Amino acid sequence: MDLSVMIPELLSALPLTLAITFTAMAAGFMLALIATTFRVRRIPVISHFADLYVSYARSVPVVLQLFVAFYGLPVLVGVFGIDDFVSPTIAAMLGLSIYHGGYLSEVMRPAYLAVERGQHDAADSLGYTFSQKLLRVVAPQAVHIALPGYGNSIIYLIHNVALIMYIGAADVMATAHLVMERDYNQYQFETYLVLAVLYSVLCLAAWLIVRFLELRSGKFALSAASARTPLTASV
Amino acid sequence: MFDIEVLLPDLWDILGALPLTLAMALAIFVLSTIVGSLFAMVEYRKIPVLRQLVVAYKIAFKGVPMVIVIFLAYYGLPSSLHFLASLVGIDYNGHSTPNWVTLIVALTACVAAFQAEVVKGALNSFDPGQADAAYSLGYKKSQLFRRVMLPQVIVAAIPDLANSFMVIMKALSLGFAIEVVDIFAQSQLTAALNFYYLEAFLVAVVVYMVIAYAVTQIADWSERALRIRT
Repeated sequence: MDLSVMIPELLSALPLTLAITFTAMAAGFMLALIATTFRVRRIPVISHFADLYVSYARSVPVVLQLFVAFYGLPVLVGVFGIDDFVSPTIAAMLGLSIYHGGYLSEVMRPAYLAVERGQHDAADSLGYTFSQKLLRVVAPQAVHIALPGYGNSIIYLIHNVALIMYIGAADVMATAHLVMERDYNQYQFETYLVLAVLYSVLCLAAWLIVRFLELRSGKFALSAASARTPLTASV
Repeated sequence: MFDIEVLLPDLWDILGALPLTLAMALAIFVLSTIVGSLFAMVEYRKIPVLRQLVVAYKIAFKGVPMVIVIFLAYYGLPSSLHFLASLVGIDYNGHSTPNWVTLIVALTACVAAFQAEVVKGALNSFDPGQADAAYSLGYKKSQLFRRVMLPQVIVAAIPDLANSFMVIMKALSLGFAIEVVDIFAQSQLTAALNFYYLEAFLVAVVVYMVIAYAVTQIADWSERALRIRT
């Protein structure tokens, strides 16, 4: 096994992995904002759908969510009469966005509710609309409370990007399989060790960035320290 | 495209894998809670060298995705078992280790790192004033642990324990990569037989959501039932 050959080869697949991660981060954030808005405002039927969506994202294994996206998306676009354009990469982006959005919603909602009740009341009594209240009063404080949880969910997302190989996306894991097979499967353990280090480094980088933002956002916090939720697992 | 009629037969097929999944989840849950409690005790008592080792273990297992840990165990465990057995002089062929054992070992190793955090959090929620009170009443350390600490710590840990049980249920779905058949793997097999992929996966989704709902309900109920006594 030659590390100097293997590592560049693995890294050549990293852009796709990162592209999927960032797409899922952006789209998931949007989804989470929408879901959280419906969940905190309690609009009759829509709120229940938002709740159902969040429990789907949180209680179904991510592999299964990916497979549902992979087989469900063609059916869904077929209903609207669009031709099947779905590639594993797009299905992976969609599946992970849905997963990340649901997970993030469960970070945002407690953060929104953790902002002191008096702040909400004061903003309401001054005649702020919901969006004004959110943007000018609640969000700056909620961001500080939510950041540790957000960091955790980014780490979960990075972990789960390792699963997109199963629906056929050519990410780092799939490249590793190619590398292993070319060496007649002699160095499987070693290759997975390299992958373990790679993913740890990615997680470490994400964690450091979020930690930096957390220190920066401290100036918006009134009194409550940000809620330190311990990192559990999410698969 | 979407066939309603296969849903019910698929459900029966997939439910067939439920007992094995639950049994494996329970085994991993118990094992990882034991290991995690040991880790948490090491940190709580602040035992010198072991404590740093536990921290290193937790960092290592939190950074690595579970799939990779499972594959590492799949390729590394048989030969290391073989080696260990030959050290103590037992004639054991490590490569005959069944895959489900590998999966249980791998997931226990992963989840133990998180369980340690759960148990540590519960231990920290214990009010040290109660320990002082118990000591002043002449309790021994073991009595304090059994009669004062344990009942409160368990109740405090119930929500997190329910959460980690669900994490284990979901993590078992990664076992399909090493040919362990759980709910998800069964849905894949069922789908491969009749080519109704989406239907089988949607049935599996419903099964998982129902299990999650049941676990939450049981946790809520037991927390309420136990809280009365404390």
